[in-house]
Amino acid sequence: MPQPLSAKENSLFRQVIRNYEDKQYKRGLKAAEQILKKNPKHGDTMAMKALIINQQGNTDEAFALGKQALMADMKSHICWHVYGLLYRHQKNFEEAIKAYKSALKLEPDSLQIQRDLAFLQVQMRDYQGYIQSRTAMLQARSQVRQNWTALAVAHHLAGDLTQAETVLTKYEESVKVPPSKTDFENSEAVMYKNTIIAEQGDYQRALEHLESIAKTNLDRLAVMELRAEYLTKLGRKEDAVKAYRSLLDRNAEHPDYYNKLIEVMAIPADDTAAKKAIYDEYAEKNPRSDAAKRLPLDFVTGDVFRESAKKYLTFMLDKGVPSTFANLKHLYTDSSKLEALGALAHEYYEAKKSAGDAKSDDPFKGEGAALYYLAQHYNYHLSRDLTKAMEFVNKGIEKAPENVEFQMTKARIIKHTGNTQKASEAMDQARNLDLKDRYINTKAAKYQLRNNETEKALETVGLFTRNDSPAGPLSDLLDMQCVWFMTEDGEAQARKGNVGLALKRFHTVYNIFDVWQEDQFDFHSFSLRKGQIRAYVDMVRWEDHVRDHPFYSRAALGAVKLYLDMYDGKALTDGANGDDKNGDAAERKKAAKKARKAEREAAEKAAKQDPNKAKAPVDETKKKDDDPDGLKLAATSEPLVEATKFLVHLLTYTPKNLEAQLAGFEVYMRREKYVLALGCLNAALTLDASHPTVHEHTIRFLHAIRSKLASLPPKVQEVIKSEFTAIAPSTDLEEYNDDFLAKHKGSVPHAIAAIKMKELVDEDADKVTGEKELAGLVGSSECTFEDAQAILDLLRGSRSKELEGFKKKAAEKWPEVTAFA
Amino acid sequence: MDIRLLRSSDLPLIQHANLENLPENYFMKYYLYHALSWPQLSYVAVDVSRPKKTPYDYPKIVGYVLAKMEEEPADGIQHGHITSLSVMRTHRKLGIAEKLMRQSQLAMVETFGAQYVSLHVRVSNKAAIHLYSKTLGFDREKIEEKYYADGEDAHCMKLDLSSIKEQVAAFAGSKGSSLGPEEAAKAGEDEDEGEPVGDVGKAGDEGKQIPSRPKEKETMRKVKVGRPLGVAGLVEKDESKHP
Repeated sequence: MPQPLSAKENSLFRQVIRNYEDKQYKRGLKAAEQILKKNPKHGDTMAMKALIINQQGNTDEAFALGKQALMADMKSHICWHVYGLLYRHQKNFEEAIKAYKSALKLEPDSLQIQRDLAFLQVQMRDYQGYIQSRTAMLQARSQVRQNWTALAVAHHLAGDLTQAETVLTKYEESVKVPPSKTDFENSEAVMYKNTIIAEQGDYQRALEHLESIAKTNLDRLAVMELRAEYLTKLGRKEDAVKAYRSLLDRNAEHPDYYNKLIEVMAIPADDTAAKKAIYDEYAEKNPRSDAAKRLPLDFVTGDVFRESAKKYLTFMLDKGVPSTFANLKHLYTDSSKLEALGALAHEYYEAKKSAGDAKSDDPFKGEGAALYYLAQHYNYHLSRDLTKAMEFVNKGIEKAPENVEFQMTKARIIKHTGNTQKASEAMDQARNLDLKDRYINTKAAKYQLRNNETEKALETVGLFTRNDSPAGPLSDLLDMQCVWFMTEDGEAQARKGNVGLALKRFHTVYNIFDVWQEDQFDFHSFSLRKGQIRAYVDMVRWEDHVRDHPFYSRAALGAVKLYLDMYDGKALTDGANGDDKNGDAAERKKAAKKARKAEREAAEKAAKQDPNKAKAPVDETKKKDDDPDGLKLAATSEPLVEATKFLVHLLTYTPKNLEAQLAGFEVYMRREKYVLALGCLNAALTLDASHPTVHEHTIRFLHAIRSKLASLPPKVQEVIKSEFTAIAPSTDLEEYNDDFLAKHKGSVPHAIAAIKMKELVDEDADKVTGEKELAGLVGSSECTFEDAQAILDLLRGSRSKELEGFKKKAAEKWPEVTAFA
Repeated sequence: MDIRLLRSSDLPLIQHANLENLPENYFMKYYLYHALSWPQLSYVAVDVSRPKKTPYDYPKIVGYVLAKMEEEPADGIQHGHITSLSVMRTHRKLGIAEKLMRQSQLAMVETFGAQYVSLHVRVSNKAAIHLYSKTLGFDREKIEEKYYADGEDAHCMKLDLSSIKEQVAAFAGSKGSSLGPEEAAKAGEDEDEGEPVGDVGKAGDEGKQIPSRPKEKETMRKVKVGRPLGVAGLVEKDESKHP
């Protein structure tokens, strides 16, 4: 029970709270101690002390004290509230919600507790709970508009549009004095209501509502865009045409407006002349609009294309616009356009060259711009001829030796030859031409990382980071959430065999996404106060799938691969580059095997936990990282559990990413989770049935099932039998594998897959012959240096005796490629 | 090229573009703060023609303007501020920076009644200064010494928005159903920026001591994003319990 305090101590207690609010933690602590001296079991004071200690960074101690406080006074809402706050601080939102609810039961009228509960509920996407909380908050303070809007948002997010609209309308009806024209909160609230009407599909009503507010609304662009959209939906073509024309007058660089305009003008898709006329009209009106000039190139063909492309190219090259190629390269998927553009660029170049190009003051205009275009043209994968690319770029460099663009392009061309060493040097040369530009600095660092020069790269980026931290540039890159560096460095460290550092970087990216997700928390209240409701809803919806970003996938796939290698005992250890310094591979395999059983059990436990329910954060204390080199990460005895942590998000948010499904199969097979592995396999088959790795997985799955099926629970057997339909269970796998090889004759990646599977399905095959066959592929004329690199990785992974011989042959065939040197 | 309003889902690649191009960087929450406080003011330039590598590719950002309204203007006059502006080196000379800025300025006037817009730029950034003063018509107000973290001075620049204001007002008074003060958007467009404008974004943001990167704590206070942890309720209750 709450213990009564004397008047003096009571005022001391109030002081504790004030001190806490003012962040005067030392004073607050002193006052709390004073109370506790006389009343050692005063729960509320203990709770406040815990809160202060927590703010000072002693989380564990705070938590223990918070618990004690609760034990001392279970009936105190303060103790429960603090307990919830401590959980919230640990990001254990589930438990925090429970604690807040207990506090609220004891003190149903506390607005503060209600608020804290509500924001956690929406953060956790407990929309029904959020609606309840918001309803209570509205009842407590119905005169505040925010509370009405908030309840509407709660219904909206929960998917109940009608209810959301009703709530907004109810508030509007209760207002006696019309809001002022500059009342931003009102302006936004009515726009929000308008989008809710439209979301219900009632465009007529949405349009009428919009027209009633259009004149005074402060968000002009939204009014114009929505009006155009509604008119289109309602088939009011003439008005819609006008609406889209107004939008184009406002912004002629937005392709969507052109498309919509053409749509409402009912121009047939094949009437390219009529379509082009629209763009031409705007190109004339806005001589500086790029979109109007360039977009028709997407749909015109034949002579019209040639003519328009010539005009565009001439304009751009005369002006010396460096992004000319970037603006056109997407057209290269059409081979006739590819040819036309190449020919036009040559024509332009020849004409300028023979005209002598009267020493233009800008070497990057005219002839120079053409050289730049042609260098990129021959460097592009669809029109690649690296010798020609190099010729043009060298001519460009001769013409303009100080120009960063030419030098940068030269580095890119070299990169495509596989010579990461020279590419890195060339990019660094480009960097030296403009030391004040961070863009070229970034490129140079990236090329260094691709060449595994991790320390040098850090030095390079360090020229632009804020270096006031003694921890060096890395600490600034961490603070600024520099994902690209973490990922590239992680991949480089993995290639160098620095497993710990590689894992460290991939985990950093993982944690950055955690932070991004956590970032939305403060906006649940902030946005209501700011009144920007539509932007808030847009943010919530984005956060729901924030981990589908390629930034996440790439780092996660890197981590999963490392953990799989660790589990297989294949991970390269420090400094290893193929040669096995650290003893017998078999021994290591044995040790790895030993850990497997225990690990499988742990993995199962981990998988059952919702990945969204964050537990105690791994490295919450930002000040000091107790594992800067990732040694602890690399020492994990449960690589599959760790891999699963990364994998679950991949499969949840990016199921259509083939790489994700392939990684899922690998993890689940090792965990002997055959139903889940089959799920990944089937998904991969749908995405790309002829992919070489999918072939491997099909064989490996059937092969495993043949020996394991009988030992599986009957239900699992049933599911596998009915779901595995890729090939008949009785398929002769050796024959199947041979057929596959024959079918994809000439493709080295498919041959690699078939050879790998031979060992599994062909009784006469063994590891050594397989490796010999793999190594033999280097002699094939179809083998690219990228294929050879893949083979090199395989031979290295299996610590094959073929490795050195293969490397030598590859180096003879591709003397430029750094990986074989 | 596509010039359009910024969306939350653009933020990771905006942050990426910023980190690639400029020395003044921000954590995600700071971008969110702009996107959720003044969603009408920030624009992006997107490379729409870029072929997608996965079904989950986000539109590639080649330029952006991150803008805000000054929350507590020292001079008491409503005005906008450019926090960061950047265009990829590979996409220069397309007039992207100027187009981004014009869209943003128009919205500053329409939505928030801005009288002028201000920004900071490194004194050494000739290309950016050229864009701001010659192409966009900004005036140099004063020099702020050691504004940037590395000790460099900043030009404090200002652009009066009253001409846009007149256009918007004229439109609001007119009856026509077609909207859009295109004249305003086009004002001053005849001048080609000429110089590469790719690194114009070296504009800083507010906060004198930490111009480019407010400390988390400071941001919280200024932005009012955070709030004290539930203590108000505790106080309230305590007093009622012990009258």
